Amino acid sequence: MISRVAESCFWMNRYVERVEVLARMLNVNRAFQLDTVISTSDRWRPLVIVSGEEKRFLKRTAEASVDDGETVQHYLTWEEDNPSSLASSLREARDNARTIRETVSLEMWETLNDLWVWFNDRAARRMYDRDRHEFYARLRDQCLLFHGIAQATMLHEDPFEFMRLGTALERAGQTARVLDIKHHSVGPTEGEVETPVEAAQWVATLRFCSGIEPFLKREDMPLSGKSVADFLLFDLAFPRSVLHNLLRVRNFLNLVRPPLPTPIGQASHAIISETIEGLEAMDIDRVLEAGLHETLTSVVSATASIGAAIHRDFFDPSLPTSAVGESSA
Amino acid sequence: MDNRSAKALFKNYQPLPGAFDECFDGEGRVRPEAATVIGLLEGLGERTFRSRQKLADTTFLKSGITFSVYSENRGAERIFPFDLIPRLIPAAEWQRLREGLEQRIRALNAFLADVYGDQRILAENTIPRDMVLGAKGYLPEMKGVHPPKGVHVHIAGIDLIRDEDGTFLVLEDNVRTPSGVSYVLENRMVMKKVFPGVFANAHVNGIEEYPIRLRDALESVGPAPDDQDGTVVLTPGPLNSAYFEHSFLARRMGVPLVEGRDLFVERDMVFAKTTLGPRRVDVIYRRIDDPFLDPKVFRKDSLLGVPGLVGAYAKGNVALANAIGNGVADDKGIYPFVPDMIRFYLSEEPILSQVKTYVCERDEDRKYVIDHIDELVVKAVNEAGGYGMLIGPQSTRRERQDFRQRISENPRNYIAQPRIELSTCPTWTPKGIEPRRVDLRPYIITGENTWVLPGGLTRVALVEGSYVVNSSQGGGSKDTWVLEEGPQ
Repeated sequence: MISRVAESCFWMNRYVERVEVLARMLNVNRAFQLDTVISTSDRWRPLVIVSGEEKRFLKRTAEASVDDGETVQHYLTWEEDNPSSLASSLREARDNARTIRETVSLEMWETLNDLWVWFNDRAARRMYDRDRHEFYARLRDQCLLFHGIAQATMLHEDPFEFMRLGTALERAGQTARVLDIKHHSVGPTEGEVETPVEAAQWVATLRFCSGIEPFLKREDMPLSGKSVADFLLFDLAFPRSVLHNLLRVRNFLNLVRPPLPTPIGQASHAIISETIEGLEAMDIDRVLEAGLHETLTSVVSATASIGAAIHRDFFDPSLPTSAVGESSA
Repeated sequence: MDNRSAKALFKNYQPLPGAFDECFDGEGRVRPEAATVIGLLEGLGERTFRSRQKLADTTFLKSGITFSVYSENRGAERIFPFDLIPRLIPAAEWQRLREGLEQRIRALNAFLADVYGDQRILAENTIPRDMVLGAKGYLPEMKGVHPPKGVHVHIAGIDLIRDEDGTFLVLEDNVRTPSGVSYVLENRMVMKKVFPGVFANAHVNGIEEYPIRLRDALESVGPAPDDQDGTVVLTPGPLNSAYFEHSFLARRMGVPLVEGRDLFVERDMVFAKTTLGPRRVDVIYRRIDDPFLDPKVFRKDSLLGVPGLVGAYAKGNVALANAIGNGVADDKGIYPFVPDMIRFYLSEEPILSQVKTYVCERDEDRKYVIDHIDELVVKAVNEAGGYGMLIGPQSTRRERQDFRQRISENPRNYIAQPRIELSTCPTWTPKGIEPRRVDLRPYIITGENTWVLPGGLTRVALVEGSYVVNSSQGGGSKDTWVLEEGPQ
């Protein structure tokens, strides 16, 4: 497929994933603040930090407003100048889809375009004001619907694999970031013993990843920082765990690579394999020993390197004349 | 027809005096060919009609059937206003139009082959040499270059109007990159959705095969062997006003949509950059104008084109649809000579009439235009979209003076025509259903054979009293129904 189109497939899904994750986090956080005694500054600041927006946010608003839920929600939802806001991610997702209308299925396009039209309409503002829970839930659900529609309406070949590649890579990074939130709120994770506030924080972390019920099905795992981190990093069956998604990234990369011995795809394959092997060589005890925050940081930076390698391999290849083959487009 | 509900929707309808109305005669009676459809619409009543119009508008917006607006913010998109009352063409009338269009395309294609070949028509002085070689769309670089299979005009849009007697006239030829066909197909899709009952009972010719016809025609002119062929649609990108159409056609043809940066030329062959490495391309349906196609040959500053593309084309390794240099054939200054072309190349009399045209380059014509400018429509030969135009009867003295001067300074650049009282069609307006002027752009596809899409794009001047149907100037569109022969 055309390299530029593959790139848009990849990014469209990354942005859809960002919308889904952020909408869910905002919703969970609103519920979370209602049922704990955690201080206001620890409730909202981490979301700003995790979205990489602390600097810009503080520049624009007074220091105190980082603790003000309304201001934070508005900034993360509507602010066009915030590249991580729902508004920005949704616009990027839809813009990418619009440049590949001939590639995405009609149903996918209509779902995404509908959501975008609604989001920019007064109706969405009204819902935001009157029923915030329903507002975020709708965003989250439409993103999930988008994936389901893709699965059921796209040809299961390269364009679809590049979309799923984008989703898996984004999910691996997002789960690592979400798991790191606690580091920014109640401090580093050390041992097994935890305060009620910490326990509540771990439940919220699982909810951020829609992982509370899946986690509870792991009966041998007590609710603790260690087991939550173990689950979110290593559980192969959990569709948002870091390792699950890294393995999917490798799988999709194998599907879109041309048959060997062409060099296309080698660089990204090398980095993803190295990342997976590094993680598989550890268990949760080794991770805590090395520091959870440090491990998560290295996972996040590995996903960035994988993204860059995918870009070089597939989206912006240099074109040696010897690579000009005889087969057709 | 149910007369009570009929009153509700069309009771105040007054055809415009002096213009031919597509559905009603001079006495305000429904024309026989329109009776079935008007009856079906009236059966709906005004309230239903209103809600269907709203449903149609929402459908366009939700499906993203929009055009980009250049002047406004990045990414600004608008829907092309759509009117639910279809424009009707009876089968027999259409049959004659179709034959006339096919004939015209044959002649225009022969003219292009000749102009970039032996130039017989110039040698015999059937068309003044200066008019042809001085046309902005004539590209001397293309002399001696023959497109694959000899096809220059793969896709044409010929604009037709009807005069006060109802006679169809050719107003303008578009043989470079005529746009609008996606609206024809989408309008039909929306009509079927909002008027399923009306549609099922009206016996309308289908148009859905257009993309497949287009793909077959494009593939039929591809120069590469079967195992190396590849067809693509080349777009300037998402900011282009017709981007929706480019994407739509690629999707419906099932071929890749590419931008210039997705292609490159190597050993005079065109390749696409794909995730599996370079792949050969041998047919390009390009929606980029000639000057931007290849910075090595035409505009050096073009970022939209593909360096080396013209070289590959000249070698015969890639087919471009439409061919390069077609602008000389749809130049408004060449238009007056098309009937002569038909006689010259085909030894036939033109089936379709066209509008009497004064060529300002000719001394006697120019004198007439300067003296009668207040009765005429003056057009710059290289402008489109309703720009660079003076409508004499609606102009101010200052505008007329300005155009007189422009004509004297650059006569080759202007033609003039009497103002035709364009036909009208009942159209929904905020004041109810009123007559609004319409034109018609049929689409003609040529590969190994020629095929005419039944109907075409009916554009409507939504502004009361307006003659300008262009979307850039307040125009909208209607579905066009070619009614099948048989029980109405």
